[in-house]
Amino acid sequence: MSTSRDAILTRLRDNRPDPKAHPLPPVARLGDMDNGQARFENSLQILGGQVLERQEGDTLATAIARRFPDSKVICSAVPDFEGTIRIEELGTPQQAASVDVLVVRSPFGIAEMGSIYLSEAQLQDLNSAAHLTQHIVVILSAKNLTANMHTAYMDRPEFHTANYGVLMSGPSATADIQGVLIRGAQGVRTLSVWWED
Amino acid sequence: MKVKPVNHAKAAEAFIEDTAHMDFHDERLWDLRQKRDGQMHILPEWQELRARASAIKEHTLANLPEYLEQFEANAKKNGIHVHWAADGAEHNRIVGEILEKHGAKSLIKSKSMVTEECCMREYLEPRGVVVTETDLGERIQQLDNQMPSHIVVPAVHKLIPDVAKIFAEHYHTDPNDNSAQSLAWQQRLAARPVILSADAGMTGGNFVVAETGSFVVCTNEGNADLSATVPGLHIATIGIERLVPRMADMGVFIRLLSRSALGSPITQYTTHFRGPQKGSEMHVVLVDNGRSHRLGMEDFWTSLKCIRCGACMNTCPVYRRSGGLSYGAVYSGPIGAIIDPTFNERKYSTLPFASTMNGSCTNVCPVKINIHEQLYKWRRVLAEHHELPFVKREVMHMAGKLMGQPTLYRAAINGTEVALSTMPRFVLYNWLNPWGKHRELPHPVKQTFHSWYKQNRLKNKKKEGESA
Repeated sequence: MSTSRDAILTRLRDNRPDPKAHPLPPVARLGDMDNGQARFENSLQILGGQVLERQEGDTLATAIARRFPDSKVICSAVPDFEGTIRIEELGTPQQAASVDVLVVRSPFGIAEMGSIYLSEAQLQDLNSAAHLTQHIVVILSAKNLTANMHTAYMDRPEFHTANYGVLMSGPSATADIQGVLIRGAQGVRTLSVWWED
Repeated sequence: MKVKPVNHAKAAEAFIEDTAHMDFHDERLWDLRQKRDGQMHILPEWQELRARASAIKEHTLANLPEYLEQFEANAKKNGIHVHWAADGAEHNRIVGEILEKHGAKSLIKSKSMVTEECCMREYLEPRGVVVTETDLGERIQQLDNQMPSHIVVPAVHKLIPDVAKIFAEHYHTDPNDNSAQSLAWQQRLAARPVILSADAGMTGGNFVVAETGSFVVCTNEGNADLSATVPGLHIATIGIERLVPRMADMGVFIRLLSRSALGSPITQYTTHFRGPQKGSEMHVVLVDNGRSHRLGMEDFWTSLKCIRCGACMNTCPVYRRSGGLSYGAVYSGPIGAIIDPTFNERKYSTLPFASTMNGSCTNVCPVKINIHEQLYKWRRVLAEHHELPFVKREVMHMAGKLMGQPTLYRAAINGTEVALSTMPRFVLYNWLNPWGKHRELPHPVKQTFHSWYKQNRLKNKKKEGESA
């Protein structure tokens, strides 16, 4: 059907360098293998993310109320936190724009980068919610930290199964106006991690 | 009529005249280069990462037809519609048809150099599609009717008052706003309604994984994720050279990309698209536009390894002081100077000369492209194809004679000390030497290495020889 397809592939076959001269290197695990919470928190802070403060007697709800006192719509994508609205109640991707704080659980984080992973499985098929909400609170277990990008891509099955998978490393940011770093550009204005253990 | 070559030197001259802009541009990009160095020094495995990235890319390019077929098969299995475009015109037609089929009249998009290559906005807008760039820098450039001046930071040549003026005109904001924070906030406020009402979204793709049929998009603003997840239609335009074989290879590239680009460990968002989200449709347009031809150029095919980090631009003294727009091309800086002539040899014939041949671009390249060597090779190709401007032809001719004869070269070099200190300024800073216009030549060395060597080492050797 596509003649351009065949023409492109033929031209590539005619023009390419000798494949035998360019073998594929084996996959490697390189770098620091520390998958500790301290390394993660340090990286998270570099990228502008925060750890949601847990005071004596705090629940997630009280911690959120203290951190985001003006929030009206707190949307939950997890079964063990109530919020003011459940993510399943948002009918369209656009409706997520009304959310002030989204609470979601991440299956793993990456210590090297302070990144957390989210896919449609955690976002209950409403991927836009992670980006249209003003603030995001991510529940994470220190047991689910992987050391670095190599270990993440090699060990986590999600990269092979999810249709949509995002590594968020701190909040949305830009430095496009005269090099001034601004946290909270077009996506989430803040990203906070809540340790659940 | 023959197309005129870009007059890079003249455009650069205009940029240099404006000291405030040039100084900021120079310092800002050098700061990115230094941040990149900081990240490099943290990682003992940095050189190994570069070597691996280079080897993976070279392998992929040598096996590109097979990997493209593998990607296509897997992507289709995942529910992605895959299209192939031989050139920009075909790409634009494909995108136009997809939009038409969906009755889409508004398209929000994240930054994609390939769509710039294809002049997609210029094609879609007369056909009734409103295209809105969602990356802040790219949006500023769109409103100002300019090409991106840098592949990572498109509006890096502008200062706050420039942006305030553009936003005032288009967003009716305060023309005297002098806060980057408040201007960025205005962009967020202006973009949200457009994003929420868009019929379709478009992204590029930084990497394409053959093994999984996925593509990976890296941004800091999250605008690609907004463009892809809010409307019910996602089109990704991707150059065919962006492939990597395995998902596990991504570790190498993600660890290098943002560190090389901005000196940050990772972009704020690294998004893996493997199939349409629920209730949505996903299309990938694989664009050739000269790449399959470039793969056959023995001296230049490795430029296809480029992951578009912009490190070569940030480090280049010519780029930093002349600004991206002076290159008159979609791709500027050192990487642009070796890619652009493959699109139009005559039009971009001046660009390989916009270099001091210091080799810094090659040293910072995360995929080890020998950029400065390719710049030199392009100069030879252009000379053979008679695409050299007169002055450069003459200078090259003289340089060739000099370099070819060691005695003549040494006589000339010894002469430079005398020349630099005694020649009147107009001889050194004249129209034959446009780069001399705005900078002083270095102080001449008192003695060349060769004459020092002759004087000292050879003498010592002789002495050793005598005593032995």
